[in-house]
Amino acid sequence: MKSLPKVATGPDQEALHAMWSGTISFSLVAIPVQLVKAVEPGRVSFRMLHKKDYSPLARKMFCPQDETMVPPDEIVRGYEIGPEKYILITDEELESVTPERSRTIEISEFIDLKEVDPIFFEHPYYLVPMKGGEKAYRLLAEVIRQTGKAGLAKFVFSEREYLVAVKSTGEALTLITMHYNSDVATADEFSSGRGEADAHELGRMKKSVKKMMAQFSPEKYADRRREKIVELLGRKVKTSALVEAPAAGEVDSEGPTDLVATLQEIMQKMKQER
Amino acid sequence: MAGRALWKGFIQFADENIPVKLHVAVREERIQFHLLHKRDNVRLRQLMVCALDKKPVPAEEQIKGFELEEGRYIIIDPAELEHLDPAESRQIEVHEFVQSELIDPVYFERGYYLEPDSSATACTALSGALTEMNVSGICTWTMRKRTYLGALQARDGVLRLNALRYADEVIPSASLELKKYPISEKELGIAAELINKLTGPFEPEKYSDEHQKKLQSTIDRKARGERIAIIRPKRQKPTEPDKLLQALEASLKKVA
Repeated sequence: MKSLPKVATGPDQEALHAMWSGTISFSLVAIPVQLVKAVEPGRVSFRMLHKKDYSPLARKMFCPQDETMVPPDEIVRGYEIGPEKYILITDEELESVTPERSRTIEISEFIDLKEVDPIFFEHPYYLVPMKGGEKAYRLLAEVIRQTGKAGLAKFVFSEREYLVAVKSTGEALTLITMHYNSDVATADEFSSGRGEADAHELGRMKKSVKKMMAQFSPEKYADRRREKIVELLGRKVKTSALVEAPAAGEVDSEGPTDLVATLQEIMQKMKQER
Repeated sequence: MAGRALWKGFIQFADENIPVKLHVAVREERIQFHLLHKRDNVRLRQLMVCALDKKPVPAEEQIKGFELEEGRYIIIDPAELEHLDPAESRQIEVHEFVQSELIDPVYFERGYYLEPDSSATACTALSGALTEMNVSGICTWTMRKRTYLGALQARDGVLRLNALRYADEVIPSASLELKKYPISEKELGIAAELINKLTGPFEPEKYSDEHQKKLQSTIDRKARGERIAIIRPKRQKPTEPDKLLQALEASLKKVA
């Protein structure tokens, strides 16, 4: 369910862009929902430019035989069965593989969220209610919040089928994709010994841990590299000239702007939208 | 066989300095497709194309810019970015311990297993302490030129290092601006009863990727020249708000 590498820069206006819509159901209750992002990788995104004229570059699909760019409507999906031999699979055929799961997230059972080994968690998304589903959505979110439960479902998205856990975050429903058990390596071989820990060692360790107990406050830890990139950009704004891409359509300039303020604004916006 | 370790380091906190080897915990293999040109089934390549020339641009003519305003960039030299890479380190530095259930699952990004390097005594004691106290060590470590935030945990006598997302990478649920809808105590009560009835133990071994097998069979059938029937996915009819209580009661009857 990973999105394509992003080439665009700056704040992401598509945070609430729906990547899927369908129904989430449990027993006889069905709720129309959309799937949106819950995380936004924090990397500062740069734009690739053409060295000679600073024109932005775009990722395009290129046919090495015809030596031409290929528009999206001429691109097909192929499964390789031999050297340069492919079986073509259309979107409709793909969706026909497991049609019952491609528009419905059917919760088959509920579990206690705290029973789940965190090794299974992969990628979170938010579910948002669509028209008419707001009340049932709120009811499901509230009940699983109060009871500490999560719903388990199978869900087909794009080319893959996911096992997902649906839990509550505040007033929202969060869908977290999970790894399949068969994809998780057994850990037995890494066990530090079947034997009991040495009582003295264990006592000492517990004492050290107790002294360092705190609340979980992840906001204390910032990505230092990202901060340094922002610092670097701030320095460069003051010391070096900006380059300008030759505009395909001429854009009027509004005279000199406060570039440092603009940078701060962009960074602030990036933070807020996360 | 444990296989080769991905990385080696030391768990550090208080006076502890525990050598460990890091191993990948999850491996996924899925059917891969390639993108082809419809006309001749030639496999396509992704290229960077200049917006102005409309021509592919070789790597040596590509530079990195940060777009400050539309069409205006600060050019960044790759050497400048390299300069910002974190210093190499072998430390998994534990800053504090927290109750494990305080970490929201949305933070978990990727898990690794830690194998004791040289002596197992300290690992056994640490994993015993973490398990008994049900706590996680919040730590940072640098690997492959990136600094990670992590939660050091233990399960079944094995230490794990879970990479966590940074806090500002998680979009707050408040930004969804969900409206509050009034729900009656009765609706809440019945829904809770229903969900309790539908609750079982978490048994991940019950679930496997059935889709992959079916997809493989679709591909095989197509390879033999069979036609694939197109089945349109049906959308389930949403429960109407004024029929919600009725649906809950009927559900409860069904599971009883």
